[in-house]
Amino acid sequence: MTDKPAGMTLIIKTVSRLIVGLIFLYGIYIILHGHLSPGGGFGGGVVLALGLLAILLAYGREETQKWLRIRLLKDLEHASPLLFLGVGLLGMATGSAFLANVLSKGRLFALLSSGTILPLNVIIGLKVGLSLFLVVLAMAEFDIRKGADE
Amino acid sequence: MTIYVLCFALFLVGLYGLLTKRDLIKIILSSGIMGYSCNLMLVLFGYRRGALYPILEKGKEAAPMVDPLPQALVLTSIVIELGVTALLAALAIRLFQKYRTYDITKIRRLSG
Repeated sequence: MTDKPAGMTLIIKTVSRLIVGLIFLYGIYIILHGHLSPGGGFGGGVVLALGLLAILLAYGREETQKWLRIRLLKDLEHASPLLFLGVGLLGMATGSAFLANVLSKGRLFALLSSGTILPLNVIIGLKVGLSLFLVVLAMAEFDIRKGADE
Repeated sequence: MTIYVLCFALFLVGLYGLLTKRDLIKIILSSGIMGYSCNLMLVLFGYRRGALYPILEKGKEAAPMVDPLPQALVLTSIVIELGVTALLAALAIRLFQKYRTYDITKIRRLSG
């Protein structure tokens, strides 16, 4: 291998640095409006993961690991099912079924009009986005040159 | 009826690639195409011509809607397909580490 810097050319790096904020904004919008319009935790989480993957593809693995705190992301990804379970048990704690609504339902078509669906969407978006990103990062961590001498 | 036949044709495209291609990456892509055609067929089962998506919006009359049940099913199916594709890609990377090639006709040391 040559000793050129990791990642792609300067153009791709600059464009992805400029556009990744917009990608995150769009993903957060889709997650927060999941109960009002098409989309929701899964679709928005995928958009978030694609923003992270743009960074990973443009800058390479080492730069990404320096820029992001991978340990924190892994802990968040592992904690999000527990958060989901906690919201579900909160419904049981108030005396009704699992995942029962405990928050106010608000006015129809307002942003805060879905009770516990909004926090559940946020948790699902976190889980989907981070696990998609971490799957591809785990593949990028394969050392392709290792294990050939056999 | 035509749309279902076209779905089946898409499935056959994936099957053709799965059976005839030698490159592991192309085989993974072909299995993905087969899965997409199944998902498309399931969504089309719930489709009604001229109907709305099943979400109530402000200022919109209640009207005939497409069936949301196949869509929920397909969402689960997409997630499972993602997991399968990730597993296949990881296996392909491991095979590349061992054999230095993606050509399946050259990966034949398994027989001993």
